[in-house]
Parts: sequence; structure tokens; C-alpha cells
Amino acid sequence: MHVTQPLAPLRVVIAEDTVLLREGMSRLLTEAGLDVAGTAGDAAQLLHLAGALRPDVVLTDIRMPPSQTTEGLQAAVQIRRQWPGTAVVVVSQHVETEHLFELLADDPRGVGYVLKERIADITQFTDAIRRVAAGESVIDPQVVSRLVARPRRDSPLQTLTERELAVLALMAEGRSNQAIAGQLYMSPKTLETHIGNMLAKLGLPPATEDHRRVLAVLTYLRR
Amino acid sequence: MSRRLRAILIAGAVAMVAYEIVVSYVPGPPPELIFVITNAAVGLSFLVAGIAAWQRWPASRLGLLFTIVGYAWLLPQVGQLRYALPFTISNITANIYAASLAHLALAWPSGRLRSRFERGVVVAVYTWNTGQSIVSLLFWNPRTNGCAGCPANLLLVSGSNSIEHIFDVISVPVGLTISAIVLTLIVRHWRSARGWSRRVMVPLVWISFAVVALSVVQTVTGNLNLHVSNLVLYGIAPLILLAGPALFVASTLRARMARGAVGSAIVDLEPGAPPERLRDALARALGDSTMQLAFRLPDGSGYLDTSGRAVDPARPGQGRVVMPLGESGEAVLVHDQGLEHEPQLVRLTASAAGMALEHARLQAEVQAQLEQVQASRTRIVEAGDAERRRLERDLHDGAQQRLVTLTLALGMARSRAAGADPELESLIDSATKEAREALVELRELARGIHPAVLTETGLAGAIQALVERSPVATTITALPAGRFPAQIEATAYFVVSEALANVAKHAAAGSAQVTIRQLTGQLMVQVSDDGAGGAKPEGSGLRGLADRVASAGGVLRIDSPPGSGTRLEADIPCT
Repeated sequence: MHVTQPLAPLRVVIAEDTVLLREGMSRLLTEAGLDVAGTAGDAAQLLHLAGALRPDVVLTDIRMPPSQTTEGLQAAVQIRRQWPGTAVVVVSQHVETEHLFELLADDPRGVGYVLKERIADITQFTDAIRRVAAGESVIDPQVVSRLVARPRRDSPLQTLTERELAVLALMAEGRSNQAIAGQLYMSPKTLETHIGNMLAKLGLPPATEDHRRVLAVLTYLRR
Repeated sequence: MSRRLRAILIAGAVAMVAYEIVVSYVPGPPPELIFVITNAAVGLSFLVAGIAAWQRWPASRLGLLFTIVGYAWLLPQVGQLRYALPFTISNITANIYAASLAHLALAWPSGRLRSRFERGVVVAVYTWNTGQSIVSLLFWNPRTNGCAGCPANLLLVSGSNSIEHIFDVISVPVGLTISAIVLTLIVRHWRSARGWSRRVMVPLVWISFAVVALSVVQTVTGNLNLHVSNLVLYGIAPLILLAGPALFVASTLRARMARGAVGSAIVDLEPGAPPERLRDALARALGDSTMQLAFRLPDGSGYLDTSGRAVDPARPGQGRVVMPLGESGEAVLVHDQGLEHEPQLVRLTASAAGMALEHARLQAEVQAQLEQVQASRTRIVEAGDAERRRLERDLHDGAQQRLVTLTLALGMARSRAAGADPELESLIDSATKEAREALVELRELARGIHPAVLTETGLAGAIQALVERSPVATTITALPAGRFPAQIEATAYFVVSEALANVAKHAAAGSAQVTIRQLTGQLMVQVSDDGAGGAKPEGSGLRGLADRVASAGGVLRIDSPPGSGTRLEADIPCT
């Protein structure tokens, strides 16, 4: 893992059609030590800037002009495909997962899905941006916790302990083993045993790579 | 023709027939019984046809003409009395019946002659047939010329056989010419008649054929001196004359039955039968194949009949009559003029047809209103959906963005205040918390108003989202991935949304299942649970949902036996 503070500040492009919010985010990120290289009011402009500036990260709203549907999401998918060096964070109003899987479909590496209200928590938000820029996946904890808390019948999930569920949720959020161990005050060794047991209970393959694991767990939770 | 006159004529006819029978027993050589029967039958047949004609067509003089033929046929029978005067009268009037038959034929069916020329022809026939008899009587002495036992001829001037013979030679071509003219006129009448008029001419054609055939046979055998027995010639052959009156009486009976047939013809038409079927039924009922049923064009510029021909009610054409149906003037019957002789039948038919059309019009009106109501219901629902979409968008673009911006500003304020003023920090924290909760509530509210995901990604994503949110364990059995028209997607979505909300609220269910399948021509949406059942379809939620499904032209079924779960199924038309 290379979660090290980069020498140069991260270069960010922000796409958001509400001027006030766009400016606010821009100021916020600048103050947090990021380099806001450009801002866009619609998807076309975003794609242009992504190509021209090659930023480290692109932040985009889902709903954008002109169609006010999922233009931002489509642009994000396209950017990941076209410029793999640019990570994307999609800022969403949707706590449900209908857009999430479209975004993750190809490869969850360097992709983030964050709820809008998360922006206000500057530390969490910038942390998410940095993690995505470093190639991790970031799924908003609230989205994951709703999935985990869904009522189920006859599901192996019901046999998991509290602690195992907490590990599972963090895995679904895209956290690395190291981060999970740190957050839950566990030794990496114990954590690995937990994960191995859990995946076996759920009948999931023991994936070692984080991004594969994210998709597998999310898909399982959504089922 | 007054009732009294009719009664007198009938009484006279009966008297004459009775007399016929009596005279066959008077002293002297008895007439052959067969002659008596034939004469009585033919005469009586015309009298009966006369009564039938009066009954059927009171306005026509046909009844009178039939009666006159009957009398003209029977009158010469006074000769049976074998006295000089009746014998002479009998011989004078022997051929008048033929003239009145020609009169009857030319005046068919109204009883009135069509033109001055035809009146002239009829006068000529009467004059010739009577005059010829008188003139030949002047020179005919029955006692010396073929009838030794006959009474005296009172008109006898000179019993010269040669004069009588010369007169006979002259009279044959004249008689033939007159007959040819009469026949030509009848043929012309027949050829110009259409529909009803032609049909009612059938008895006339038989009468004409019978008269011509009879006179040809009698003339030919007389002039050629063929040895055909008088019994055949005058006893049996005249029976052919019965054909005309018999057919007329039969057609009158049929016409009576036709009145009943009008009603059943209309009743037999199933509701909503096309107008051409109604026309055919009316044409059959009235016996007029030329009948047209015409409707006013929507722009009021004229009328078109059921086969698409333009009809001008002001100028229906030669021999055609227009009969309006109902009071609106929307439809008219155009029929053969001859039918005016059957005013009752026509009136009956017109009112039955008017009723059938009124029925069809009302039905079409109700149908149109129903369609309008259906369309307006659909529009109302669509307008409601559009309004919900607008509201949701306004919330998203307005209040939600502002709240996000607010939390952002609060976040920045928090980081500036960090470490400086703990009280301010905690104030900002609680403000942030409030703003965040407001944002969550607003998001839920907006989704409840209209799920943006439905317009953005379609039914599959929206249903997936509903299932994720459901507080009861819910699985999706089948869910088509494609897009559908907005109204159909919205309807299917609200069915699932309302059903899952009911499952959560009332069903006390352990699990629920959502199934959506695209079948031919429709989308089937099914939500079932394993809960308590007993859902009431008339509850306001389900009632509203049924209305909503109906507005999309679909049906909602609820199967909820107590204790065995609930199954909600909607079929939404989808092409």
C-alpha cells in the first residue's frame, strides 16, 4: 500500500451545475490543500477538461445539464475508460445502488461513490479523494450500511457475528486490510482469519485483491 | 272508394255467382257444368283480388279495376238464360272483360293511367271491344249461323254471312294492333320499374301473359277451324286467367307478413351492426332491392348512401321517394315510389330503422364519451406525474443544493474555528448535524414525490432501489432490463411501491417477492407476500392504485385470502 502524502498537491477538476455549490467545493478543496485545476458546469465541459488537464481526480455530480439525468455518471465511466490515470469520485444524492453498479461495472479501482452530504465533512471527503487518487475504491459508508442492514431471510449473512459484519461493511466500503485492522483495533493476522471464515460462510471466493473483493461483497449484499 | 260501395259490389258479385249456379238448372239444354265452374272461378278470383287490393292499397284504384274485370267477366253469363234480351246483352258485352283487363294492366299498380296517350289507348280498347261486338251482331243470325238452339238476336239487321265474314277479316288486324300497343306499353312499364314497383308487377305480367295466350289460342283455333273441343277452349283454358289474381292475393298476404318481418329484421340486427346491414334488412323487409339508406355528411354538405354514392334528398331521382328517419335529419331512406302504396309498411319500417339508428347513435355517443373520459383520466394522471417530476427537480436543484452548499459552508466554518472556540465548534457541529438530517429528510421526500431514478435509468433500477429500501425481506424473481413508455414505467413502479408499502405496514409478512415480466402486449407486475392476507380492495390505497392502473388501460387484481398472504397483480398494456 502506498497511501503516502504526495509531494505535489492533487490536481482536481470539479463538475457541478449549481454555481454556488461548485464554488464552495472549489474553495473547500483549495483550503484543504488540493489544487483545483478547473471547474465544469456540464458533462461536455468536464470531458474536455479531463482530456486537456489530465487531473489526478475528477469530482462530478450525477445529474447534469442538458438532460438532467445521468450525464455526470456517464462522463465518469467514460473518463475511467479513456484516461486510466484519472480517478473519479461521483457525488450522488442517491443512497440506493442503482447508479453505483453502473459506475463500478468495469473496474472499481480509482472509483469513488460519495453522498452529497459527505462533502461537509472535510476530513472524510478529502480522505476519500486521496484514496481514490491512490487507486482504491471508496463506497460511501451510508450506502454500504443500508445494504448490510437490509432485512433478509435464509441468508448466510444472518449467521455472521457483529464483528464479522463490521469487517464485511468496511470491505464493501473499499477499505484495505490494513485500514480495517487499524479501525477495528485488530491484528492483521486475526483480521485475515476473520475474513477467510466469513468469505467461506458466504460462499465467496477468497479474493486477495481489494477491488475484486469490493465488487464481490457489494454484489452479494445487493442480492 | 266508400265502404258502402264496396259492400254493394261484393254483394253483387256474390249474387252473380249464385245466379250462375241457379241458371245452370234452368230448363233447356244444360250448360256444361265445367263451363259454369270455370266462369264462376275466374270471375270470383278477380272479385277476391279486388277486395285484397282495397285492403292493401286503399289509396289505389286497383281494387275497383279488379272488381270491374270480375263483373265484365261475369256479365256475359246472363246469356245462359236463353231468352232474346239476355242473349243479346251477353253477346254485346262478351269482350268488355278483355278491355278492362287491359285497363287494369296499364293502370298497375296505382289504378291510375300514366298519360293522356294511355288513357286514349284504354278508351280505344273499350270502344273497339264493345263496338266490334255490336257491329258483328248486326249481321249475325245465330239460328242460321252455327247455333240453331240459340234465342233470337235482337240487333239482327241482315243475316248475311258474307258481310259478317268481311267484318271478321277486317277486325282481326285491328284487334291485333290494339293488343300489340297495350302489350308494348306493359313491357315499357315493366322495364322502367325498379325495386318494389317491379316486384309488384309480377301478377300483372302473369295476367298479361294469360290473356295473350288465351286470346291467341282462341283466335288461332277459331280462324283456322281447328277441331279443338269447346270444352278445352272455353271450359279449361280460361282457368289460366286465375294466375294473375291468385298471385296478387298471395303477394298481398306476403306483404302483410312483411310488416311483422320489419320488426324482426331490425331486432335481428346485433347492436352496432354496420349501416349496410341495416339497409339490407330494410330492403328485404320492404321488398325493395333499390332502397338506399343515406347519412348526412359530418360537414352537412350532403348525403352519402351506404355504398358511398351521393344522394340529394331534394332531388331523389325519377320514381324515387325520400323518407326521413327520426327527427334529426341525420339519415334518410330513399325508396321506390311504388312503395307509397304501402304507407303503413313504410312508416313502420322508417320508425324501426329510426330506432335502430338512434340506438346505434346513442351507443356510439356513450362509447365516445367513455373514450374521452378514459383519455382525460390518462391525461390527468400524466399531468400529475409531470407535476411530480417538476417538483422533484425543483427540490433537487433548489433546496437540496442549497442545503449541501450550507453544510459545505458549515464545514469550512468548523475547520476555521477548530481549536479557537470550543463553544463555537460545538454550535457549528450541531448546526451541521441538523442540516445533514434536513438533507436526508428532503432526499426521502423528493424520492417519495417522484423517483428520479425512474426517469434516469428506468424501471429496473427503480424497482431495485425500492426492493433495497423495503423493510421486509424482498427478492426479485424477474425484472426486464429494457425501457418502457414513461406512463407504463411510472404505473408499474407505483404498483410495486404501494404494494411493498402495504406489505411493510399491514401484512406482518416475513418476506415478499416482486416479479415483473414482459408478455406479449403487456407488462405483468406481481407482488406477493407470505403475510396475514385479508387486504381489502376497496381500501383507499388499493382503490387509488386500481384507478392508476386503469388509467393506463390495465387491470389490477388482488388475491388476499385471510391467513394466506397477499398477491397483487397488475396487467398493464404495453406494445
